Formats: sequence, structure tokens, C-alpha cells
Amino acid sequence: MSFALRTAWASLHGRPGRAALTAAGIAAAGLVLGVALTVAYALSTGFDRAADRAELPTVVARFDDEDPSTVDAAVRDLPNLAAASYRYERTNVRLAAGGHVLDQGVLEVVRGGRRGYAIVAGRDVRTAAGAPLEVVVERGLATQWGLRVGDRLRVGRLGFAPIVGISVAPDNVAYPLAKTARIMVGEGALLRRFGAPPGQHFAVNTALLWARDPSRSDVLVSAARQSSFGLRQLRFLTRSGIEALVGQAAGIVVALLVAFGIVATGLAGVLLGAGAQSEVQRALDRIGLQRALGVAPGAVVAVHALRGALVAAPAAGVGLTLGALAGRAPTGRVLASLNELPPSAGRLVALLALVWAGAVALVAGASALPAWRAARRPPAELLRGGDVAGPRRGGRAGSTRGGLAALGARLVLARRLRFAAVVAVLGAAASVVLLLLALASLLQALRDDPATLGKRYQLTTRLPESSTRAVEAIPGVQAAAVRYSADAVSAFSLGSPLKVIAYSSGDHTRFEAPPLASGRRARGQGEAEVGLGLADALGLRPGSTLVIQPLGPREVRFRVVGIVRALQDEGRVAYVDPDRLRDAGVALDGPMVLRLRPGASRARIAAGLDALGARADAVAGATGDSGAFLDVLAGLLRIVAATVALVCLHALVSALALTARERRGAVATLRAAGADARALRRLLAGAALVVVVPAVVVAIVLETALLSPLVAHLAAGYADLPLAATTGQVAAVAGGLLLLSWLAAGWTGHRLVREPVVAGLREDA
Amino acid sequence: MKRPGSVPTTAGAGALGNPTPGTDPTTRRELLLAAATAATAAVLLPGCGGSATPTPGSTLHHTLVDPDGDTLLRTGPGLPLRDRTDLSPRAKTGATLVTLAQLSDLHVRDAQSPGRVAFLDRLGPRLGSAFRWHETLTAQTVAAAVDAVNAARPDAVLVTGDLADSAQRNELAWALTLLRGGTVRTDSGRRGYQGVQAASIPDPLYYRPAVDAPRHPRLLARAVEPVRSAGLRAPFHPVLGNHDILVAGEIAPTAATRAAATGDRLLVTPAPALLEQLRGLQPTRAQVDELLRTGLPGEAITVAPDPDRTQLDAADVVGQLRGRGGGAGARLDYGADAGDRVRVIVLDLVRRDAGSGGLVTAATIAALRRELAAAGHRYILVAVHQPLAQTAGGDAIHDLLDADPRVVAVLAGHTHRNAIAPRRSPVGGYWLITTASIVDWPQQWRALRLVETAGGGIALETWMVDHTGRPNDEDSLAGIARDLAFLDPQGDRPAHAAGPPTARNVRLFLPPRAPRAPKTPGTPRALPPPTAPERLGAGDAVAAA
Repeated sequence: MSFALRTAWASLHGRPGRAALTAAGIAAAGLVLGVALTVAYALSTGFDRAADRAELPTVVARFDDEDPSTVDAAVRDLPNLAAASYRYERTNVRLAAGGHVLDQGVLEVVRGGRRGYAIVAGRDVRTAAGAPLEVVVERGLATQWGLRVGDRLRVGRLGFAPIVGISVAPDNVAYPLAKTARIMVGEGALLRRFGAPPGQHFAVNTALLWARDPSRSDVLVSAARQSSFGLRQLRFLTRSGIEALVGQAAGIVVALLVAFGIVATGLAGVLLGAGAQSEVQRALDRIGLQRALGVAPGAVVAVHALRGALVAAPAAGVGLTLGALAGRAPTGRVLASLNELPPSAGRLVALLALVWAGAVALVAGASALPAWRAARRPPAELLRGGDVAGPRRGGRAGSTRGGLAALGARLVLARRLRFAAVVAVLGAAASVVLLLLALASLLQALRDDPATLGKRYQLTTRLPESSTRAVEAIPGVQAAAVRYSADAVSAFSLGSPLKVIAYSSGDHTRFEAPPLASGRRARGQGEAEVGLGLADALGLRPGSTLVIQPLGPREVRFRVVGIVRALQDEGRVAYVDPDRLRDAGVALDGPMVLRLRPGASRARIAAGLDALGARADAVAGATGDSGAFLDVLAGLLRIVAATVALVCLHALVSALALTARERRGAVATLRAAGADARALRRLLAGAALVVVVPAVVVAIVLETALLSPLVAHLAAGYADLPLAATTGQVAAVAGGLLLLSWLAAGWTGHRLVREPVVAGLREDA
Repeated sequence: MKRPGSVPTTAGAGALGNPTPGTDPTTRRELLLAAATAATAAVLLPGCGGSATPTPGSTLHHTLVDPDGDTLLRTGPGLPLRDRTDLSPRAKTGATLVTLAQLSDLHVRDAQSPGRVAFLDRLGPRLGSAFRWHETLTAQTVAAAVDAVNAARPDAVLVTGDLADSAQRNELAWALTLLRGGTVRTDSGRRGYQGVQAASIPDPLYYRPAVDAPRHPRLLARAVEPVRSAGLRAPFHPVLGNHDILVAGEIAPTAATRAAATGDRLLVTPAPALLEQLRGLQPTRAQVDELLRTGLPGEAITVAPDPDRTQLDAADVVGQLRGRGGGAGARLDYGADAGDRVRVIVLDLVRRDAGSGGLVTAATIAALRRELAAAGHRYILVAVHQPLAQTAGGDAIHDLLDADPRVVAVLAGHTHRNAIAPRRSPVGGYWLITTASIVDWPQQWRALRLVETAGGGIALETWMVDHTGRPNDEDSLAGIARDLAFLDPQGDRPAHAAGPPTARNVRLFLPPRAPRAPKTPGTPRALPPPTAPERLGAGDAVAAA
């Protein structure tokens, strides 16, 4: 082992430049890995982490204001109930501090018992009778307004109150991603402020229930519903339902990031392995020499495995650390906007250490395998420069037909296995860049283009159903209808929230028609088309019965006739006829939507609506106006894209340097015959080009056939995500690779001309 | 277990796990065998007062508990007998005088009857018994209780009322078949379940086993399949309960209630106005008739009518129950022997007009006097449905019993709750025992063993016994019934109907006294004038403890 270590160490010292190049490649791959892991791990576990820390209740029940003793009577004997606490929640409270004003504050009057939120700074409010007025504000508001513990917040007509704590509760996204901001006040302080006599309590409208056995929370909810008579406008939300709802706010973005992280992790592994393998290929002559001197194959393998590990250990460490640091800040911002918590530094370090060990082992293994294969071959063949994959094929390499560029191409093509490996690495890296570009386009489309969601209407306005004909009479309007939308849950699975969508015209397909996955379009009053996300969650298929429970105790039933690939609300949607909802007493409300004729003048339509006393609003996409959210995403994507570009450059430089080294004699002969630096660059550019062109083809095939469907499936298996790269994106990637080729050829050429010609000629002789 | 120094058991025909009586061991081998048996019993049956064979379901050996509160019942440790010395100090126990089983409040229900008022359940726990999560499984539960009783081999069985749930002819027939032995199919109307628990019912205020948690997909279909009951092997003595003759345990049947029960309209979701009307109302029979005549507003389903759902007159019910008992007249007051040392006196305290509370009539007082006089030198157990404390005129009964040293206990049901209290009197006192129901949690029957104690006293040993249904077993319908009874948030779990340990497995000591009629019998105070029932409810829901 000491021989192996000594030799490996000497090898690194003898060629510091090459070692540095190898380390750079590994560091780049490590950086991709670090970013991807940080993003994927932090985002995929953020909700559970925050929910555990905040002791998020198993079930949240909301209802109209009720006496707390009445609610407690219905709650306290529920089966599987570990604890319950009650709140009064008041919306549209004006909040003001430091020049900021928000009219959509939510005042939560908390009583004793568990809270369901985590204090991340300061302390909680006191709830005892006679306690002073003090508030806890949610972290989103504190961050947005720059509030700290000790500052004062004006709360509606209650006046100013000191901020004693900052909280996080993952039962909703954070302000400003949510339009409302929550603050908590103790009941005792409010009663004191209002001069209430002792023993008096606020009404409550929210019950938080914790199950003893969360896996049997369905029993708790079922019993709670059965005992709920008298509570008006009752609706339940389970912890899984909360997760789904939060997911609907930003789920697609998070899911895309996580899916991308998984794919990028795979890519980084490929790059690490390929880099290590290429490094061994460059050392075949030394392996031949060692074998000729009688070194055992096992020792040869150990030397290269150790060499790989020695290079990979610091490089992967640096790369992973940089990646984690680069990814952590933007990921933290994403988590903050979702009211979730980042992983602890200790846990992240442990994860990275594990991955670092895996990366080093991968590089060592990837170095050992080709070394083992090479060490078993005759030393003479290796000393002749034989490739690992088989005997070199001579004959055409020395031909100069087609000029220097063609000669460079032939030099690369002569090593077919290596050529294939470099093409694969470049193709994989380029496919990820293509995926990044496609992701960026998709996110932009989700934000700006309603058609991405399958919507066929372009404008909305606030007019009653009775105005439909008048609106349709406006020139340029092809069709109009009121789009009703109601939140509901599955009556048989109360933790499954869904959105019910109905059009006043009865036919939703004129205004939005997500593609059918199975079945047919809904036509009758009792029929429904459901999103694939909902169908998967509830086990629905054409012919099943969808039983929903809107606000209140009544159930409404529909026969499922079609499953659609809807992207909205993670596919948890149902398109139904409005009449049955009305029959069940559901209060329907929604905007009138307008489908425009091609080329219609929006100005004329706006004027027409204005004449009817209404205003035209353009339709936004799924992710709405969360610009900050997308900026964060863009930042992450930029980091990964830059790193992948570095990887590509590294692969090209390595390939060209290796080719040049193997052909030192030929290159020296060319130089002796008068080839200058420019000629050498042409030679190397030809070599690079012959790799880049098939790499682009591989990238397109990989992105289209593998990565795009994989990410789409991982992120949103319930919908068709348009993640295929466009022609322009392919052209941009191809151009980028050509530019990198030019850079690699220039750099390698520059190094070649610095080498004395005689050195190469001597070697050839 | 044989307690140290206890007197060897010599009487009682092997009941409730007692060793089979036999002659004294005569050979060395028999002597060793007897010693080994006694030693084994001492190890296996701690606190059992002499039982050698564990009775299936006996809570002396195992209890069903939910230790972690996740609503899944598991087998827990047994609950040994505790000595209660409220009336007399502890003493060595001896020969068994009699073994009895008390089953109470079976409430065998026709869950598909349009005569039901399941919709009242939503008004709160007070009316919770109007609908039960497990209401289609009452026959299976009774059959499982019968099996457990038979395994214990008591000398006699007291069924302390509410055999039926709503005075229907088919319900009483099913209940009596289950107790006597035979097969019942609790499927009225057409074949197959039609009722408020069907998955097609869009009212989530009912538990629908096919779609609501905890799900039991085929439960309703299985519930209406034939149920075979072995029948009680010991003689049983029925007590009349309010649910046996009053609709929903509250109102005597009328033409209107019978028409509703034998009709085809089953009200599922009452109109809000009706609920508001009923919420604060204490309806009289006339008002109920008026409500039925005008038609209860709300969403209803059509079920197949069935004439067997008609509600019986009190006389019909008393006549059918008397087939197993004695006495005469319009009320079910009678006496029966339980072994040769104990006399059971059954009293009928059920109102004939309306109201679930008890009522003592002059006829009952007369019957009690007659039975006391006929009891001779035997100990007396009095069986009633409503506890005397919840019975108008109950004090008059106490006046007679307080003076009689033969009285050991008054056994009641009705409240669906285990409770035991001492009743002190100049002649030594007796115990007032109320037993939980078979229909609701904990679905247990009460084992009773009257034993002699050293010094001429007696003790009544009593413990609860689970029926043979297996918890968390989809193949055991009676087990599912108990699981659901435990879950029901308006059932008897939250009401702590199982009672404290001192109301379950106890040894109740009584002072030494000879079972002799008093020289001066008690004089009952005047009965209160008959009044209208205080309040109509929907049965015997247990008030929160």
C-alpha cells in the first residue's frame, strides 16, 4: 500500500497541471451535486420540518363564530384525540408599522393549549387574564417589513402593541406570497382591553385538533364531522390537505426544482465517473511501464484508485461546499416564502459528508476499473499507446485529406471508445442545459400564459351571469360565461382538498379544456371531469362517484366520466355543472371570463365592458405574480447552468489535451513542417467539432426522450408539462458548445506551442 | 383464586368458572390432584374468589383497553376483585349460594325501520342513542354475549330490560330468539340493507361504514345475514324495559307511530325547521302524533314496508316475556327461584304512557309485598330496569326492602353505566347495582356470585365479562360492533359508562344475618300522584360522568 500511495502522490506532484485540471472537473461536478442536493433536500423536507417544529395540528376545523364551550362539547370526546385548542380568527385587520400598511391582516386570538406555530425569535404571547397587549407576527411579515422583536405594530383599532415574537406556521404560505399576514394576540389581553368581566371568553371559529395516532386521523375527522351538527360553514383541513394546498401555491415550482435536483445529481455522478475514467486513459503508457517493470496489476489498480481519491477528496469537498453555499441562500428564500424551515447546518453537513464520501468512492472506483482492465493487457501494447477498449486501429489516422481540421477529427475518431465517452459526457451536460432552458421557459409561461394551464379565455371581468349575452355582443368576444370556483374536500377523504370549477354555460370546454387522459367530456348535470391529481388521490376512474363536501355538511355527488391532465391546483380539480352545486346550497361566485376571437382588439373589448360598467382584467398564469419566487429560481438555475458550462469546457479541454498528448509526434511533425499556432488551433478545433456535433444530437435525444419526461413526471405526473426544448434553445446550446470548443482548442493549442518541437519528435522516433 | 384461609367451595353447579362440585378426595392420588388443581388456580386466577377455569371474556383475567388513545382496543391486564366494606367488614368467603349473569339493555334494533328517529342523533349526546355507529350489529352482539354467558355456566340469567329498541314486534321476536336459541335475520323490508348508513346516503352526520373511517366495506351486507344464537342454557328471567313497550323508549305506540313504522318513508335528513322545533320541545304524545300526521319534513328515502315493524302493545310484550317468568296481570312483576337459597324478584317499573324514567304503581307495591312474603328463608335479589333513584315512587320500594334482612341487592340497567352503591338500613343494608348495556360500550355482562362468609355473613362477588367478539378483527362482527361502540363520540365511551373499578369487579360484603323474613315488614310511603313524564328524550343516553 505504501508503494501505491507513494506512486499516486508522486504522480500528482509530477503533473500538477493535469491534477489541477482533473480536480477542477471534479469540483465542478461536486458543485452541481452540492447545489442539487441542497435544493432537493431542503425543499422536499421543508414542510415536514416546519410542521414538526410548529406542532402543526392533525386537523384544522373552521366554522362560523361559536361559543367555545359549545365547540368543546363537540370536540372533547372525539376518538383518537390527543389535544385540542381553539382560536378566534378575524380577517381584514389593518396592520401598520414603519411606514408599511396592510389592510389584509389576520388577527388570531389564541387561548391556552397548543399553538400550531413555532416561535423562531422572541417568545410567545401570554394568554392569561389581564396579560398586557402584545403580538407575535408571522415571519413573512417581519421579513418584508423589517420588523424585529421589540418593535411596535399597530393592530387595527387596538392601537400599538409590542412585538414579542416571530412565528412560523406552515399551514399557509408566507406573506407576501399569501396576500394576508397573520399576527397572534392572547385572549386575556383582548378581554382586558375590552373590559370584559372575569370568566368571559371570545367566540371561537377555529379548532385545532391533534390526533394521538396521526395515521388514524381519518377516524378523528370522521367522528368530528358526525358530531358537528350546529356548527355552520364547517370545513376541515388535515395536515396532508394543508400540504397539498401549500403545494398548490408553489408546488409546481418546488417540484420542478426537486426533480431537477435529482436529475442533476445523476448527471454529476456520470461526470465524476467519466472524468476519472478519462484520467486513467491518459496514463496508459505509465501503466504499461509499471507492468513492464513487474508491478502487480493489483498495485497498479491501487495506485490509480488512490490517485483518483486523492484528487477527488479535496476537489469534491470544495465543490460540494461551494454548491451547498450557493444553493442555500436562494433555497432559504424559497422556504421562507413557503413558511417552511431550512434544515439545520448539522444535518446538511452530515448529508454532504455522506455524499462527499460517495463521490470520492465513485471517483476511486471509476479510476480503478479501467486501470484494472488496462493492467491485464500486455505491457507492450500499452507502451505503444493502446487504448483501454481495444487495439488501436491504424491506417487512416495519418491521412491529411480534408485539411488540418479533418485531420484533428480523424485523430479523435481513432479512439472510438474515448470518443463515445466524451460525446456522452458532453451530451449529458448539454442536455441538462437544454432542460434548464426549457424549465425557464415553462416557468415564464406558467406565470404569464394562461394557455399553459389549458385556459382558452384571455380576459376576465366582474359581471353577473345575466350580462352574458351583452358581453358576447361586444365585437371580438367569441364567448363569455361566469366561471364559478369553490373549495371543497372529498366527503369520503376529508383530508383531500379540491377545487370545483363550473361554468354558467354548463360547457367548460369552450373556456378551458385540459387534455383528456381517459374517458370523455362531461355533458350531463351529474357528470364530472376530474384532474389526474385528484383521480390519483381518491382512486377515481371513469364510472366512479365523486362525492364532495363544500362548506357545510351536505354532500354533492357526481359521476366521473373523464380524467383530464389539468395543471391547476396540482390536478386536484373537478369540472362540473353548476346546477347540482346550487341545489346543494353551495354559494357560487366567480368572474365572468371572455374568450376572444383571433386578432380581436382588447382595447375595443375593454371599452365595451366599460360601457357595461365593468373592467377587463388580463388572465395570469398559474404561479401568479410571485416574481420574487421566480427570481430565486432563476438564480439557482443560473448557478447550475454556469457550472454545467464549466463541466463542458473541462470535458472538451481534457479530450483535446489527451488527443494532443497521444499524437505528440504527429503534432511535432506538423509544427516542424511549418504549422503555426493558428494551424494547430484548426487541428484542435476539428477534433473538438467532431465531438460537439454528435454531443448536440445526444443532448437533444436525452432531453426529449429522457430528462424532460422524467422531470415532468417527477414534478407533476398529473399533467402534461411542456418541457421539450425549442429549436431556438437547441441552437443556443449548440452555439454555446461551439464557443466552448473554440475556447478549448485555443487553450490547448496555446499549451502545445509552448512545448519544444524536438521533444515531440524525439518521442515519435 | 382461593384467598388465604378461604372456605372450600361446596355449592353452585360449577357456575361462572367454579370447580365442578364433587365428593371429597378419598385416595392419595385424588388428594394430590386436587391440591395441584388448587395450586394452579391460585396462580392463574388471582382475586377470583375460587374460580378454577378462566371464564372466556372475564375481566378478572383480561380487560380490553386503549392504552395509547389511538382508539384501537387491545388486551390489557385483568382487574382483580376489590373488597368493598361499606356495609360490613371484610370476612373469609365460603360456599357459593348461587351464580347469576346479568345482561342488560340489549336494544336489538331494526336498523331499517322508518319508525326510527335516527335523525335526532345530531342534536347532541343526550339523544345519541337515537343512532349508533354499530346499530346494524345488535343481534351479533347479543349472540356473542349469549356465548360468553353459556361458557360461564351460571345458575340463572337476569335480563334487566330493553331487549328491543323501539317496541317493534320484529325486534322483540329477534331478541327472544337470540336468548332462547335459533337463527335471526335482522333484515326487515326487502332483502338487503336500506337505511341511513348506506353509502348512497349523502348525509355525513351518519357513520356510513363503506365510505367513512374506519371503513368496513361490506359490513351492512354482512350485518343482515342470518345470525345463529345458541340460546341461554340457564333459565333466564326477563325484566320489562321502557324500550320494550315505548317507541324509542319514550312514547307508547299510537296509530300514527305504527303507521310510520310500517310505512315506506324513512326520514334521513330532517329539515332545519323540524330540528329547531324539536330542539327545545318536550313533545307530548299528542304533539308527536300531530308531527307524524303532518309528515316530518326533510329528505327521506323509500324503503320496503314491513308489517312486522309494527309496535306492540304493552300487554303483548308482557305476555311474551311472561312466557319465561311468572305472575299475572298487566305488569311484569314476578318472583323466581335461583337455586334453593336465593329468590329473585322482578319488578316492572316502566311507564305505560310516555317517559323513560321509572314509575312505581300500587300494583307493583302489592306484587313486591306478595313476593317478599313468599320468599321464605332465602336471600333476595331484586331485578328492575330503571334504578330506583330514577323511579317515581322508588322510595316506597326502598321502604319495603330496607326492612327486610334477606335483601342482598337491587340489580338495574337502563342507565347503560356500571355503578354500585351501598344502601344502608336498620337491618344491615343491601347493594344498589346498575349494570352497563350490551348494546353500547363496554358491551359487557355482569357475573354475580353470592357466597357465604365466615361468621354467618354473605358477600356478593361481581365482575364484568366481555362477549366473545374479537377486537380489530374484520371477521368478527360482534368485535366490530364493540370497536365502533368504543369510537362513537356520542356513545358510552366518553360517558365513562364502564364506570370506576369499584363499580365493576368487586366483592360486596354484607353483615351477618339470617335470611329470615322481618317480623315487622316495611311500610311503603304513599306513592306520588301520577304526573306527566318530566321530559321526553330518545332513549337511555348516559349523561356525562
